[in-house]
Amino acid sequence: MAEVKKKPINRLKTMYPLRALVDGMYERAQEASREGRPVAWCMVNWWGGDVVLRAMDVACIYPEDYGAVCAAFGAAPAHMARCDADGFPTHMCGYARNTLGYTAIMSELGEIPPDVPMGGMPKPTLLLGSAYFCDTRYKWFQSLGRYLDAPLWVLEMPHPGVKEYQTEGAPEHDIAFLVAELKGFAAFLEKLLKKKMDWDRFAELVDDTIEMNRVWYEVNELRKAVPCPMHSRDFWSSMPASLYMAADPKETARLYRDMYDEVKALVDNRQGAVAEEKYRLAFAELPPWHSLKFFDSLAERGWNFVIESWAYHPPKPIDLSHIKDPVEKIARLTYRYFTGFFADACATQDWWGYFEHPYLEYAREYRCDGIFLHPLLTCRTATNHLMVVQDQAMKRLKVPSIVIEGDIVDLSLFDPADALRKAETFEETMDYYKEMRQKEGLDW
Amino acid sequence: MAQLQTKGLGRAREIYRDRARRARELKKEGRKIFGYLDINPPVEILTAAGIVPFHLLGDMSEPITKADVCLPTVVCPFLRSVMDQGLKGKYDFLDGALFSHTCEVAEKMSHIWRIYLGDSEVYYIDTPHTTHDAAVKQHKYLLEDFIKALAESTGAEITPERLREAVALHNEQRALVRELYDLKKPDPPLISGRETIQVIVALTVLPVTEGNELLREVISEVKQRPEKPPQQPARLLVWGSIMDNTALVEMIESIGANVVMDDNALGSRAYFEDVEASDDPLDGLAYHYLVSIRNPRTFRETVLDKEGRKDYMTDLEARFGHLRDYAREWHANGVILQALRYCDSHAYEVPGIGDYLDHVGLPHIYLELDYNQSALAQLRTRIQAFLELLD
Repeated sequence: MAEVKKKPINRLKTMYPLRALVDGMYERAQEASREGRPVAWCMVNWWGGDVVLRAMDVACIYPEDYGAVCAAFGAAPAHMARCDADGFPTHMCGYARNTLGYTAIMSELGEIPPDVPMGGMPKPTLLLGSAYFCDTRYKWFQSLGRYLDAPLWVLEMPHPGVKEYQTEGAPEHDIAFLVAELKGFAAFLEKLLKKKMDWDRFAELVDDTIEMNRVWYEVNELRKAVPCPMHSRDFWSSMPASLYMAADPKETARLYRDMYDEVKALVDNRQGAVAEEKYRLAFAELPPWHSLKFFDSLAERGWNFVIESWAYHPPKPIDLSHIKDPVEKIARLTYRYFTGFFADACATQDWWGYFEHPYLEYAREYRCDGIFLHPLLTCRTATNHLMVVQDQAMKRLKVPSIVIEGDIVDLSLFDPADALRKAETFEETMDYYKEMRQKEGLDW
Repeated sequence: MAQLQTKGLGRAREIYRDRARRARELKKEGRKIFGYLDINPPVEILTAAGIVPFHLLGDMSEPITKADVCLPTVVCPFLRSVMDQGLKGKYDFLDGALFSHTCEVAEKMSHIWRIYLGDSEVYYIDTPHTTHDAAVKQHKYLLEDFIKALAESTGAEITPERLREAVALHNEQRALVRELYDLKKPDPPLISGRETIQVIVALTVLPVTEGNELLREVISEVKQRPEKPPQQPARLLVWGSIMDNTALVEMIESIGANVVMDDNALGSRAYFEDVEASDDPLDGLAYHYLVSIRNPRTFRETVLDKEGRKDYMTDLEARFGHLRDYAREWHANGVILQALRYCDSHAYEVPGIGDYLDHVGLPHIYLELDYNQSALAQLRTRIQAFLELLD
């Protein structure tokens, strides 16, 4: 009998139900569409908009997730080709090009295109864009007006600078702005759907969302252990359940609790995600969804990916129990997510409090030997800060980075063989800087 | 260093060729100078504080050699060039800098600027993204915070009265620029596209009163001079990303077209709407810089048709109808859509504008630019073919 080869990455069992929860959202949206119930296409909006929609019984799907799904299933190239043929510049976001192409085809056929992954995204009743981080995430939905007559609401999000955040009264203005925006969105929905918001249900969902994020945060705290019990691949499979609010947050929180128990047991037994953890790395930003097996080759070399971008992680816990208004509560959670690293950034005079600074905090706390930078050739947002991360991590912490270019959707922009060659030589660099850190009194 | 002596178009041309020289002269005269980026920072506040606003621009003819350390190659090449200039010390005369959330890369550049060029006197205004009432209110708060921080740090007294005076001066400049653009309506135009860019770029370094004086000189000179730009078979409107260099327009004007109108952040977009007078001048400024300016980075609510339904062409009419109006008033018979590579807020507009221009019967061509003078040569043939189409 042939010997069964051990997998290079020990995958968490509790990850699979979380992934299934996200996959299930396509079926739920298709069912809602068939039954004439409202369906929203949403950008990730860091919970506020999701909770409003869920309280109004709107089925949500997320074209950003669908971009990753289409990339993984090999369906994205055809969609992107259609988008390019329709005159959209090719340097635009891969997720956007996938959706624009998909929607163009759907609008021509008058129905979901055949043979698309997960049964496809049904025609939306409305679109929820987000002004968070990235111009694309509302311009893309505005461009869908070419193919869809669904109304669009763009949810505002403040982006304070680290210094401006210290201005007396500034955070409170930002929170009030978030609250006004969420209430505006709720009013927009009430008018569109001709029904009243269930504010009691909303309040319950808000509390469940806070709890879901708290548990998920605790899971990731466990990854500071050496060896790290949970690889980035499990993180990426599990994060959509939180980011995309794929299901009732109470149910998601329950599954994250199961994951906590599994990871905790691994920590107690000193079991790592890779057989022999030689190098601990942070991954920036999004992975090549079409080539995830690439990480197996790195795992075989003892590379363990122990932390990822702050952008996809839950906020640092915050006590919101004294806040009575549930809209304000969820607004404060979102704001906490954005500004959670600002205090440390300000103290260390590092002026990019999100995206860049969290890597420095993570590199220290998760004892990283290196940072794997994956500039996405079609994504400004996930790439803007990477050179600064590389420079500052080296200057401040003597943590080196490796740069491997690629794309989240476009397979042709990633060369795994070349990446592996670079990785091999990077090991010497990590070894060298480990010694340097020790000489400089850094404790990892 | 000899002071600039020329007047009118000659003076504009000299300043255009070496903006830093005039900035250094002003500095020598004891003026404070703040760099600012793009169209959303309210320059009236700097003027009210006695500070000269200096628009940060790149240099298309200079290779980027320093900015790679902090900005990757897949972001806006114009912003990379601006950062490169900063890192090379070409903006060493600045006393401070003002950034806004004019696009996501510009927002992030404010943090990068602080990390690599120092955080002293660097300000950032987080411009909201929609025209919702709450967004306008938030924008006003952010302007108030900026004024407080600036006053505290520089000791400037930025009173409502001074703000009103600054608004009046900048509105005067807007009216003068519109008058300048009126000179492009005749056939042939009285002023070329190249000369217009030179004047507009010169304004970006001058204190507003000096800029207004320059505009008056230019307008008077252009009206009186006997020579005019040659009459060309095509009259073009150029839409898109920032154009701080004459290279593209010079090339277009050398192959059979007059560039008679534009819609970009340095050109008409910055000058064609006045800041409205308001009891509290910050109300007018907050509204103007968020709502009135037609920057594609700001999302405007979808305009519905007469039956209250979403209709693509009705929405396009609301977003791009001004281009049809410009074409009519300036007698343009073709439109060049140009966007810098990786400029997302313009890139997403391209198919929609194309649909709209098809609808109103205006021929158009889309060009993607690298903010690199040598890369323009390969566009020549495409533009020539487009011009032949217009014949």
